[in-house]
Amino acid sequence: MNSFNLENGPKIKSGFKTPEDYFENFSEQMLTRINTDEKPVRSIFQKRSNWFVAAAAVLIVGIAIPFLNKSGNNTSIDGESLENYLAYQSNISQYDLVNLLDEQDIEALESDLKIDDAVVESALSDNTNLENYLTE
Amino acid sequence: MLDEQAFIKDLLDPKTQNKAFQTLLSSYQKPLYNHIRNIVLNHDDADDVLQNTFLKVFQHLKNFKGESKLFSWLYRIATNEAITFLNAKAKRNGMTSENFQQKQIESLKADDYFEGDEIQLKLQEAIATLPEKQQLVFKMRYFEELKYEELSEILDTSVGALKSSYHYAVKKVEEYMIKH
Repeated sequence: MNSFNLENGPKIKSGFKTPEDYFENFSEQMLTRINTDEKPVRSIFQKRSNWFVAAAAVLIVGIAIPFLNKSGNNTSIDGESLENYLAYQSNISQYDLVNLLDEQDIEALESDLKIDDAVVESALSDNTNLENYLTE
Repeated sequence: MLDEQAFIKDLLDPKTQNKAFQTLLSSYQKPLYNHIRNIVLNHDDADDVLQNTFLKVFQHLKNFKGESKLFSWLYRIATNEAITFLNAKAKRNGMTSENFQQKQIESLKADDYFEGDEIQLKLQEAIATLPEKQQLVFKMRYFEELKYEELSEILDTSVGALKSSYHYAVKKVEEYMIKH
Protein backbone atom coordinates (compact mmCIF):
# COMPACT_ATOMS: atom_id res chain seq x y z
CA MET A 1 0.00 0.00 0.00
CA ASN A 2 1.64 3.26 -1.11
CA SER A 3 -0.81 5.75 0.35
CA PHE A 4 -3.61 5.49 2.81
CA ASN A 5 -5.92 8.32 3.84
CA LEU A 6 -8.19 7.52 6.72
CA GLU A 7 -10.13 10.81 6.68
CA ASN A 8 -10.78 11.20 2.96
CA GLY A 9 -10.96 7.56 1.92
CA PRO A 10 -14.07 5.35 2.27
CA LYS A 11 -15.11 4.92 5.91
CA ILE A 12 -13.92 1.65 7.46
CA LYS A 13 -16.53 0.18 9.79
CA SER A 14 -15.60 -1.66 12.94
CA GLY A 15 -17.01 -4.96 11.62
CA PHE A 16 -18.63 -5.88 14.94
CA LYS A 17 -22.10 -7.39 14.98
CA THR A 18 -24.39 -8.72 17.68
CA PRO A 19 -26.50 -11.88 17.97
CA GLU A 20 -30.01 -11.56 16.57
CA ASP A 21 -32.51 -9.82 18.87
CA TYR A 22 -29.68 -9.04 21.29
CA PHE A 23 -30.90 -5.53 22.11
CA GLU A 24 -34.56 -6.60 22.25
CA ASN A 25 -33.70 -9.19 24.89
CA PHE A 26 -31.11 -7.08 26.66
CA SER A 27 -33.61 -4.60 28.16
CA GLU A 28 -35.74 -7.38 29.59
CA GLN A 29 -32.73 -9.27 30.90
CA MET A 30 -31.34 -6.11 32.48
CA LEU A 31 -34.60 -5.18 34.21
CA THR A 32 -34.86 -8.69 35.66
CA ARG A 33 -31.28 -8.51 36.88
CA ILE A 34 -31.82 -5.12 38.50
CA ASN A 35 -34.96 -6.30 40.29
CA THR A 36 -33.24 -9.43 41.63
CA ASP A 37 -29.95 -7.73 42.49
CA GLU A 38 -31.65 -4.84 44.21
CA LYS A 39 -31.06 -5.09 47.91
CA PRO A 40 -33.55 -3.54 50.39
CA VAL A 41 -32.68 0.11 50.80
CA ARG A 42 -31.61 0.93 54.32
CA SER A 43 -31.88 4.45 55.57
CA ILE A 44 -28.84 6.42 56.71
CA PHE A 45 -30.28 6.44 60.25
CA GLN A 46 -30.39 2.66 60.33
CA LYS A 47 -26.80 2.49 59.16
CA ARG A 48 -25.81 5.11 61.69
CA SER A 49 -27.58 3.32 64.57
CA ASN A 50 -25.42 0.27 63.89
CA TRP A 51 -22.35 2.42 64.35
CA PHE A 52 -23.78 3.77 67.61
CA VAL A 53 -24.41 0.23 68.86
CA ALA A 54 -20.88 -0.82 67.88
CA ALA A 55 -19.35 2.26 69.57
CA ALA A 56 -21.43 1.72 72.72
CA ALA A 57 -20.39 -1.95 72.88
CA VAL A 58 -16.71 -1.02 72.58
CA LEU A 59 -17.14 1.64 75.29
CA ILE A 60 -18.84 -0.78 77.71
CA VAL A 61 -16.16 -3.42 77.20
CA GLY A 62 -13.48 -0.74 77.66
CA ILE A 63 -15.00 0.44 80.92
CA ALA A 64 -15.55 -3.12 82.19
CA ILE A 65 -11.95 -4.27 81.62
CA PRO A 66 -10.44 -2.70 84.82
CA PHE A 67 -13.31 -4.07 86.95
CA LEU A 68 -13.08 -7.53 85.43
CA ASN A 69 -9.32 -7.55 85.99
CA LYS A 70 -9.70 -6.39 89.59
CA SER A 71 -12.29 -8.94 90.60
CA GLY A 72 -10.23 -11.73 89.10
CA ASN A 73 -6.73 -10.99 90.36
CA ASN A 74 -6.86 -8.57 93.26
CA THR A 75 -6.24 -10.43 96.54
CA SER A 76 -4.76 -7.52 98.57
CA ILE A 77 -6.93 -5.84 101.19
CA ASP A 78 -6.84 -2.10 101.67
CA GLY A 79 -5.70 -0.70 105.02
CA GLU A 80 -9.02 0.85 106.01
CA SER A 81 -10.94 -2.44 105.67
CA LEU A 82 -8.31 -4.21 107.73
CA GLU A 83 -8.46 -1.56 110.46
CA ASN A 84 -12.24 -1.73 110.60
CA TYR A 85 -12.17 -5.49 110.80
CA LEU A 86 -9.63 -5.50 113.61
CA ALA A 87 -11.47 -2.76 115.54
CA TYR A 88 -14.99 -4.12 115.30
CA GLN A 89 -14.95 -7.77 114.33
CA SER A 90 -11.92 -9.47 115.80
CA ASN A 91 -11.19 -10.17 119.45
CA ILE A 92 -7.55 -9.13 119.15
CA SER A 93 -6.83 -6.38 121.66
CA GLN A 94 -4.65 -3.30 121.11
CA TYR A 95 -2.02 -4.88 123.31
CA ASP A 96 -1.87 -8.00 121.18
CA LEU A 97 -1.35 -5.78 118.15
CA VAL A 98 1.40 -3.78 119.82
CA ASN A 99 3.20 -6.99 120.68
CA LEU A 100 3.09 -8.02 117.04
CA LEU A 101 4.89 -4.86 115.92
CA ASP A 102 8.65 -5.06 115.56
CA GLU A 103 11.10 -2.12 115.62
CA GLN A 104 10.88 -1.55 111.90
CA ASP A 105 7.10 -1.22 112.12
CA ILE A 106 7.38 1.28 114.93
CA GLU A 107 9.88 3.36 112.98
CA ALA A 108 7.57 3.29 110.00
CA LEU A 109 4.66 4.46 112.15
CA GLU A 110 6.77 7.31 113.54
CA SER A 111 7.81 8.45 110.10
CA ASP A 112 4.18 8.22 108.91
CA LEU A 113 2.85 10.31 111.78
CA LYS A 114 5.66 12.94 111.67
CA ILE A 115 4.54 14.81 114.75
CA ASP A 116 6.41 18.04 115.28
CA ASP A 117 7.78 18.58 118.81
CA ALA A 118 6.43 22.13 118.88
CA VAL A 119 2.92 20.83 118.11
CA VAL A 120 3.21 18.30 120.93
CA GLU A 121 4.31 21.02 123.36
CA SER A 122 1.53 23.37 122.46
CA ALA A 123 -1.03 20.56 122.74
CA LEU A 124 0.26 19.69 126.19
CA SER A 125 0.19 23.27 127.39
CA ASP A 126 -3.34 23.82 126.03
CA ASN A 127 -4.78 20.70 127.69
CA THR A 128 -3.92 21.03 131.36
CA ASN A 129 -5.77 17.89 132.40
CA LEU A 130 -3.27 15.82 130.40
CA GLU A 131 -1.03 15.98 133.44
CA ASN A 132 -3.31 13.38 134.99
CA TYR A 133 -2.53 10.96 132.19
CA LEU A 134 1.17 11.70 132.34
CA THR A 135 1.45 11.11 136.03
CA GLU A 136 -0.40 7.81 135.75
CA MET B 1 -33.60 14.14 26.74
CA LEU B 2 -35.12 17.55 27.17
CA ASP B 3 -35.68 17.69 30.88
CA GLU B 4 -32.87 15.66 32.35
CA GLN B 5 -33.61 16.59 35.95
CA ALA B 6 -37.22 15.41 35.64
CA PHE B 7 -36.03 12.19 34.01
CA ILE B 8 -33.55 11.53 36.84
CA LYS B 9 -36.35 12.18 39.33
CA ASP B 10 -38.45 9.53 37.54
CA LEU B 11 -35.54 7.11 37.71
CA LEU B 12 -35.27 7.61 41.48
CA ASP B 13 -39.01 7.42 42.23
CA PRO B 14 -40.04 3.76 42.87
CA LYS B 15 -43.39 4.44 41.18
CA THR B 16 -41.88 5.59 37.87
CA GLN B 17 -38.52 3.84 38.14
CA ASN B 18 -39.21 0.81 35.93
CA LYS B 19 -40.62 2.80 33.03
CA ALA B 20 -37.86 5.42 33.26
CA PHE B 21 -35.16 2.76 33.34
CA GLN B 22 -36.68 1.14 30.28
CA THR B 23 -36.43 4.51 28.49
CA LEU B 24 -32.80 4.84 29.63
CA LEU B 25 -32.01 1.35 28.35
CA SER B 26 -33.62 1.86 24.96
CA SER B 27 -31.87 5.23 24.49
CA TYR B 28 -28.39 4.20 25.56
CA GLN B 29 -27.96 0.43 25.19
CA LYS B 30 -26.85 0.58 21.54
CA PRO B 31 -24.38 3.48 21.74
CA LEU B 32 -22.94 2.19 25.02
CA TYR B 33 -22.67 -1.35 23.63
CA ASN B 34 -20.75 -0.05 20.60
CA HIS B 35 -18.50 2.02 22.84
CA ILE B 36 -17.74 -0.95 25.11
CA ARG B 37 -17.36 -3.40 22.19
CA ASN B 38 -14.81 -1.11 20.58
CA ILE B 39 -12.75 -1.34 23.77
CA VAL B 40 -13.14 -5.04 24.71
CA LEU B 41 -13.60 -6.35 21.11
CA ASN B 42 -15.38 -9.58 22.05
CA HIS B 43 -19.22 -9.75 22.14
CA ASP B 44 -19.56 -11.84 25.32
CA ASP B 45 -17.22 -9.50 27.20
CA ALA B 46 -19.10 -6.46 25.84
CA ASP B 47 -22.37 -7.99 27.05
CA ASP B 48 -20.92 -8.54 30.55
CA VAL B 49 -19.53 -5.02 30.74
CA LEU B 50 -22.76 -3.46 29.43
CA GLN B 51 -24.77 -5.25 32.13
CA ASN B 52 -22.30 -4.16 34.81
CA THR B 53 -22.46 -0.61 33.49
CA PHE B 54 -26.25 -0.37 33.74
CA LEU B 55 -26.19 -2.05 37.13
CA LYS B 56 -23.70 0.52 38.37
CA VAL B 57 -25.75 3.33 36.84
CA PHE B 58 -28.83 2.07 38.65
CA GLN B 59 -27.01 1.68 41.97
CA HIS B 60 -25.32 5.09 41.83
CA LEU B 61 -28.14 7.10 40.33
CA LYS B 62 -29.01 8.56 43.74
CA ASN B 63 -25.49 10.02 43.92
CA PHE B 64 -25.70 11.60 40.47
CA LYS B 65 -25.47 15.32 41.19
CA GLY B 66 -26.29 16.52 37.70
CA GLU B 67 -22.97 18.41 37.56
CA SER B 68 -22.30 16.71 34.23
CA LYS B 69 -24.79 15.53 31.63
CA LEU B 70 -26.35 12.12 32.06
CA PHE B 71 -24.91 11.20 28.63
CA SER B 72 -21.29 11.86 29.64
CA TRP B 73 -21.79 10.26 33.08
CA LEU B 74 -23.01 7.05 31.43
CA TYR B 75 -20.11 7.02 28.95
CA ARG B 76 -17.63 7.59 31.77
CA ILE B 77 -18.99 4.64 33.74
CA ALA B 78 -18.98 2.43 30.61
CA THR B 79 -15.38 3.44 29.77
CA ASN B 80 -14.13 2.75 33.31
CA GLU B 81 -15.96 -0.57 33.47
CA ALA B 82 -14.56 -1.68 30.09
CA ILE B 83 -10.95 -0.72 30.89
CA THR B 84 -11.11 -2.26 34.38
CA PHE B 85 -12.60 -5.43 32.88
CA LEU B 86 -9.85 -5.67 30.25
CA ASN B 87 -7.03 -5.11 32.72
CA ALA B 88 -8.47 -7.67 35.15
CA LYS B 89 -8.87 -10.26 32.37
CA ALA B 90 -5.32 -9.64 31.14
CA LYS B 91 -4.02 -10.08 34.70
CA ARG B 92 -6.01 -13.30 35.17
CA ASN B 93 -4.36 -14.63 32.01
CA GLY B 94 -0.93 -13.53 33.24
CA MET B 95 -0.48 -11.05 30.36
CA THR B 96 0.10 -7.34 29.96
CA SER B 97 -2.92 -5.37 28.68
CA GLU B 98 -1.09 -4.83 25.36
CA ASN B 99 -0.38 -8.54 24.81
CA PHE B 100 -3.91 -9.43 25.80
CA GLN B 101 -5.29 -6.93 23.26
CA GLN B 102 -3.12 -8.49 20.53
CA LYS B 103 -4.49 -11.91 21.43
CA GLN B 104 -8.06 -10.57 21.30
CA ILE B 105 -7.44 -9.14 17.81
CA GLU B 106 -6.05 -12.47 16.61
CA SER B 107 -9.12 -14.28 17.89
CA LEU B 108 -11.39 -11.86 15.98
CA LYS B 109 -10.74 -13.90 12.81
CA ALA B 110 -12.62 -16.82 14.33
CA ASP B 111 -15.28 -14.67 16.04
CA ASP B 112 -18.86 -15.32 14.87
CA TYR B 113 -19.81 -11.76 15.70
CA PHE B 114 -17.03 -10.13 13.66
CA GLU B 115 -17.67 -9.76 9.98
CA GLY B 116 -14.66 -7.63 9.19
CA ASP B 117 -12.40 -8.12 6.18
CA GLU B 118 -8.61 -7.89 6.04
CA ILE B 119 -8.58 -4.08 6.08
CA GLN B 120 -10.84 -3.96 9.13
CA LEU B 121 -8.61 -6.42 10.98
CA LYS B 122 -5.51 -4.45 10.02
CA LEU B 123 -7.16 -1.28 11.30
CA GLN B 124 -7.72 -2.98 14.68
CA GLU B 125 -4.05 -4.00 14.71
CA ALA B 126 -3.01 -0.44 13.91
CA ILE B 127 -5.20 0.97 16.71
CA ALA B 128 -3.66 -1.49 19.17
CA THR B 129 -0.23 0.13 18.62
CA LEU B 130 -1.50 3.46 20.03
CA PRO B 131 -1.28 4.50 23.70
CA GLU B 132 -4.47 3.74 25.68
CA LYS B 133 -5.86 7.29 25.71
CA GLN B 134 -5.18 7.79 21.98
CA GLN B 135 -6.93 4.50 21.24
CA LEU B 136 -9.96 5.71 23.16
CA VAL B 137 -10.04 9.07 21.38
CA PHE B 138 -9.59 7.44 17.99
CA LYS B 139 -12.34 4.85 18.49
CA MET B 140 -14.82 7.37 19.91
CA ARG B 141 -14.18 9.82 17.09
CA TYR B 142 -13.72 7.51 14.10
CA PHE B 143 -16.11 4.61 14.81
CA GLU B 144 -18.63 6.17 17.19
CA GLU B 145 -18.50 9.60 15.51
CA LEU B 146 -18.83 11.52 18.77
CA LYS B 147 -18.26 15.28 18.67
CA TYR B 148 -15.12 16.76 20.22
CA GLU B 149 -17.32 18.63 22.73
CA GLU B 150 -18.91 15.34 23.80
CA LEU B 151 -15.50 13.67 24.01
CA SER B 152 -14.26 16.58 26.09
CA GLU B 153 -17.05 16.07 28.65
CA ILE B 154 -16.63 12.30 28.81
CA LEU B 155 -12.84 12.22 29.02
CA ASP B 156 -12.48 15.49 30.94
CA THR B 157 -9.90 16.75 28.43
CA SER B 158 -9.85 20.02 26.49
CA VAL B 159 -11.11 20.06 22.90
CA GLY B 160 -7.68 21.28 21.72
CA ALA B 161 -5.87 18.40 23.38
CA LEU B 162 -8.37 15.92 21.94
CA LYS B 163 -7.96 17.31 18.42
CA SER B 164 -4.20 16.98 18.59
CA SER B 165 -4.47 13.49 20.13
CA TYR B 166 -6.79 12.38 17.29
CA HIS B 167 -4.52 13.97 14.68
CA TYR B 168 -1.50 11.98 15.96
CA ALA B 169 -3.58 8.81 16.21
CA VAL B 170 -4.73 9.12 12.57
CA LYS B 171 -1.14 9.70 11.42
CA LYS B 172 0.15 6.63 13.25
CA VAL B 173 -2.73 4.44 12.02
CA GLU B 174 -2.15 5.57 8.41
CA GLU B 175 1.58 4.85 8.71
CA TYR B 176 0.86 1.36 10.05
CA MET B 177 -1.62 0.67 7.25
CA ILE B 178 0.94 1.67 4.59
CA LYS B 179 3.79 -0.35 6.15
CA HIS B 180 1.84 -3.55 6.79
